[in-house]
Amino acid sequence: MTVRSRGALAITIAALLFLYVPLVVVVLFSFHNTGSLSLPFTGFSLRWYRFVLSDPGFRSALENSLFVAAWTSAVTLVLGTLASFGLARTRSRLRGPLALLFFLPITLPGLFIGLAMLVFFVRTTLNLSLTTVIIAHCVYVFPYFLLIAIAALERLDPALEEAAADLGANGWLRFWRVTMPQIWPLLAGATCLAFALSFDEFVITFFVIGPDGTLPLYIWSQLRRTVDPSINVVSTLLMTVTLVLWLAAFLFALRAARRRAASGDELVAEVVPL
Amino acid sequence: MLLTLPATAAMAVFFVAPIAIFVVYSFLTAQLYDVSRPFTFDAYAAALDSPLNRTLARNSIEIGLLSAVCSVALALPVAYWLRYATGRWRMVVLFLITASMFASYLVRIYAWRTMLGEHGVVNSALQSLGLIDHPLGFLIFNRFAVTVALVHIFLPYAVLVLFAGFQPIRPGLLEAAQDLGAGSYMRFRRVILPLVAAPALSAFLFVFVLSASDYVTPQFVGGSSGVMLGVQVQANFTTVGNYPLGAATSLLMLAAFVALYLAMRIGLRLARLDRVRFS
Repeated sequence: MTVRSRGALAITIAALLFLYVPLVVVVLFSFHNTGSLSLPFTGFSLRWYRFVLSDPGFRSALENSLFVAAWTSAVTLVLGTLASFGLARTRSRLRGPLALLFFLPITLPGLFIGLAMLVFFVRTTLNLSLTTVIIAHCVYVFPYFLLIAIAALERLDPALEEAAADLGANGWLRFWRVTMPQIWPLLAGATCLAFALSFDEFVITFFVIGPDGTLPLYIWSQLRRTVDPSINVVSTLLMTVTLVLWLAAFLFALRAARRRAASGDELVAEVVPL
Repeated sequence: MLLTLPATAAMAVFFVAPIAIFVVYSFLTAQLYDVSRPFTFDAYAAALDSPLNRTLARNSIEIGLLSAVCSVALALPVAYWLRYATGRWRMVVLFLITASMFASYLVRIYAWRTMLGEHGVVNSALQSLGLIDHPLGFLIFNRFAVTVALVHIFLPYAVLVLFAGFQPIRPGLLEAAQDLGAGSYMRFRRVILPLVAAPALSAFLFVFVLSASDYVTPQFVGGSSGVMLGVQVQANFTTVGNYPLGAATSLLMLAAFVALYLAMRIGLRLARLDRVRFS
């Protein structure tokens, strides 16, 4: 290292401890053999996992979360892919205003989006249900998906498609045989990300959910009632699912970046936005 | 261009329309869990007049500023290290920071409740070490706890924004400064700071807006001194049933955020830091 940065290293280690110690503590106590959530840690047991997994409330929350996240990511994949092609390949004057519209949800606090959605659903007498949650999640997740999809499209080498066109490939053939093989890893990664964002969403969901709860809502209601390691179990499971999805997204992005054989630094810069 | 049509239609119906209706609601007269005409500015007047709102707004601003300052101050050296350190640890740390972003928002708040509570991990650890006799009461149910939890939630974002901000600043620039005799403070003050002022301010604004508008963290770790405006806005919709007041209050919050953003843009331009080039 040519630039000295020992102080920065110390702060980096401190920041990592600050970020990870509380999360590790939550996971650790999910395996506690008593109902206590403070030290000393008296031993490992899976009793709280058995307790949570046999709770019908938890199971229905898990099913609801999977249902919402699956629909959200599917709808986002279709609408987002179409919109990214539309935006990336146009010189229309509408490009700017459309991009503004699509990316606006990222800039607004969740509280605001949640409340606006609530008022809208009440006004249009759409009953609050998992459907309204899916709609709200799609609005929330859409810009993140679009960000990745547009970045993927803008990095494509136009010469490849031109070559295919010169060789007589029509629009569909070019799309499936030239464009898709290049961008699908990033689209798949972005879809995983959409799933993870939806699976974990609470701030907006809180306002637009009806009688059926999702996993974060389940944690919320538990937090108001009891405090025992069963919350740690649900927390651990929730974080595992989002982490695995994020890992999948990360690997997809890495694969896409490796294909272009970018240098180490470019690789980092490309993978990080995920 | 036609391909954007489905998404445009969906966003118009499910995003633009809700916001338009929300704005209209803020000008209507409140009924219990409902609204009626005539159009008035009553809700705005009430939102600005309420002493409770003022106290909560002050709390939100103070907690938001504190979290934003702490997040950026902590994120700066981390992003610096991530950008200029060499070796494989760099990728590992980058990976860990990004992965921690995906630890659930609610779980983080819960984690700090278990850490800081009266019988929490920090207190029980200090007690078993014999450092304290009685649990420290000042750790939770106040602004301190809210700030700690918010910094925990937003620090990874701040690090990544700053890391991206550092990307264009090649190590050569810092080496040159070092060769010319600049110590680490001088390198930071004269080379890095002018170049990362813009990304640092956007990280600051990001953390401030999301912290100041948070309504969940204060309810779990905030106690009475850590209540924020978002909690009151939420209550207007869920338990009080005064939609116009809640809508007006949150739109005023949003207006304040936009004003802050514009002020920062103008500040950067006046300081001539908005168009710094690297080559």
